[in-house]
Amino acid sequence: MLEITGLRKVYEGRGRNVEALRAIDLKVDEGELVCVVGPSGCGKTTLLKCVAGLLTPTAGQVRLAGRAVSGPPPGMAVVFQEYGRSLFPWMTVRQNVELPLREKGVPRPRREELVTGALQAVSLSDAGSAHPWQLSGGMQQRVAIARAVAYEPQVLLMDEPFAAVDAQTRADLEDLLLGLWRRLRITTVLVTHDIDEAVYLAQRVIVLSGSPTVVQEELRIDLPDDRDQIVTRSLPRFAELRTHVYGHIRAAKT
Amino acid sequence: MIRRMTGLPLRLVRLLALPVALVLGWWGYSVLSPSFYVPSPTRIATAFADVWFTRRILDDVLPSLGRLLAGYALAALLGIALGVAIGSYRRLRLTAEPVLEFFRAVPPPVLVPLIMLVAGLNDTMKVLVIVSGAIWPVLLNTVEGVRALDEVLADTARAYGLRGPSRLWHLVLPAASPQIMAGLRQALSIGIILMVIGEMFASTSGLGYTVVLFQRGFQIPEMWSGIVLLGLLGFLLSLAFRAVERRVLYWHQRETHA
Amino acid sequence: MTGRLRDIAYGILGLGILFAVAEAVPRLGLISRDFLPPADEILHTLLRDLAGRELWTALGETMRAWAIGLAIAFVLALALGVLIDAIPGARAATTSTVEFLRPIPSVALIPLATLLYGADLGSSLLLIVYASFWQVLIQVLYGVADVDPVARETARSYRLGRWTILRRLVWPTALPYVMTGLRLAAAVAFILAVTAELVIGSPGLGLQIQLAQSGGAVAEVYALIAVAGLTGVAVNLAVRQLERRLLAWHPSVRGENPR
Repeated sequence: MLEITGLRKVYEGRGRNVEALRAIDLKVDEGELVCVVGPSGCGKTTLLKCVAGLLTPTAGQVRLAGRAVSGPPPGMAVVFQEYGRSLFPWMTVRQNVELPLREKGVPRPRREELVTGALQAVSLSDAGSAHPWQLSGGMQQRVAIARAVAYEPQVLLMDEPFAAVDAQTRADLEDLLLGLWRRLRITTVLVTHDIDEAVYLAQRVIVLSGSPTVVQEELRIDLPDDRDQIVTRSLPRFAELRTHVYGHIRAAKT
Repeated sequence: MIRRMTGLPLRLVRLLALPVALVLGWWGYSVLSPSFYVPSPTRIATAFADVWFTRRILDDVLPSLGRLLAGYALAALLGIALGVAIGSYRRLRLTAEPVLEFFRAVPPPVLVPLIMLVAGLNDTMKVLVIVSGAIWPVLLNTVEGVRALDEVLADTARAYGLRGPSRLWHLVLPAASPQIMAGLRQALSIGIILMVIGEMFASTSGLGYTVVLFQRGFQIPEMWSGIVLLGLLGFLLSLAFRAVERRVLYWHQRETHA
Repeated sequence: MTGRLRDIAYGILGLGILFAVAEAVPRLGLISRDFLPPADEILHTLLRDLAGRELWTALGETMRAWAIGLAIAFVLALALGVLIDAIPGARAATTSTVEFLRPIPSVALIPLATLLYGADLGSSLLLIVYASFWQVLIQVLYGVADVDPVARETARSYRLGRWTILRRLVWPTALPYVMTGLRLAAAVAFILAVTAELVIGSPGLGLQIQLAQSGGAVAEVYALIAVAGLTGVAVNLAVRQLERRLLAWHPSVRGENPR
């Protein structure tokens, strides 16, 4: 579904060039849930933005379902870390979720259906006529997720989506995402700095190196599909995988 | 007694105590040492009724207001349209900025003689005068509001394919509206000032003209009644504006002070 | 070219385009030369004025009215603002009066000023002080209201004297607002100074413009407008500089309407 070849991104500043990504090669199959981790500053967000078509790569290519990405492609939904800044404050929750669908040209009855379904899926059916700033952080992020889900995207991209909420809410949101993914099987790429989260959620974990950034390792997560916050995280295999990833990141930092 | 009052009576007292005291003080002063230039409040009140509750409302006041509204609306439309255009393109903004800052710094009344020269002495000129001053705060604030569009919001909109007119309507204008409203508020004050000056300077009718007429004729209480009317107008218009602002910006979160 | 320099170049380009248009339009006959003389003619007139004495005298008179009016308004508004804050219940009692008097257009006082002071400095000052006063007062009230109540309670529990609280707590908190008020008042004061001269005839730049207009010296009118604009820009820049220096220590920069 998603094919990234030789992706390179260099930021040109005043006299200084910053090579955020050197050469990223990555494939994501349809319906897969992949997590990307790496040391701080290694360009995870840059990678996501290039894949989303929000940044133009210096070299290399991103292909979505075989077609080259040269700007935000239809069929891709993005959830940002800063939920407060990604929801439109002058619109209600419902209107926020509905907006991309209106833009897409989806007829009204179908729109209503999708929005209602999405809000239900994130357990926010009652919050439809509230405004984002009336909701808690976790709820706001759920609205952003609902918006992405209602869009019926081919690929869901998430940039450290749970980094800005507290630990309890993070656990709830992680499980929410897993539940949605299991039901809808949307191809998902999630960038995170939280190694535990990456191992918990993913089928595959991509470890990025430090600068100059390349893909350091791809790790298949062979934990049982039925993930649970308590059970899965206390499995010995979980600890092994986690340690493995952490070891790589530590090595990447030097 | 004041301490024991609560609710509506207390609020009324708070609202009216000082104004009433001031008016009484003025009246007392005018009785004790009458001044030709500052008549008593009662004299002004009667003059107010005599002057303004007549045809004058139709002949002078309403046309003045009409011109103000026309000029203001035009300034708002042009200012917002140009502001959005300039604010959306970085290079255009950089090119236009010094020119705009210069025009904004010119005291608006100064353009009145010029516009008089070009447009003559008629309604068009008066409306032009209002536009020439009121447009700048709207324009510059709109530019600022559009420029300061939140990056994450813009990225989100781009990711979901929001483009063109719907981007303008659903994203740019609402996001910039707090700034735009601030500009519109300043534009209203400037518009009122220019409406009055335009008429004081070169006119044979209108609110400003009438007040100057009284002044030249040394009809002091009548002149004061005109000043009071202008004050009332300013006050009512600002109330109206605030009501509109509250409605438009209902979603905007601002810090509140103790 | 580095970024910053390039940005400035665009601005200069903009000014250049303005000049070019102002030059071409009258010469091409699109607008009559009686209404818009060519830019170089305006520039020539401007330079001639700047070389002479009359313009500078007039400008000096305008700036004198500006400075005196601004100073009076500033001191009065500061004093009243602090007083309102200090007296319990004063804020609630004065709100209605302030909110009513504040939107009154100062130009409404022009006829009164003409009667009381005639075409002289007094008229200008009446208008300038009235308009500038409100700008400063509103900001001062915002500023003193912004003092953290917890900090105030703490200060009182340590039995700090009124004067100390004012100096150490209220003043630093209110200072950014006071500076904003000063900046707004300075701009308003300049506008009103020129307006008073224009309409009433007090000595200064505005009077020169009015004389030029009645004399039909169109290029002169434009040149003087340019001077007014440039002076306005200079006033804004000067106050911003002052603001920056005084508030160098302050983490945030307050907007005009913290409400």
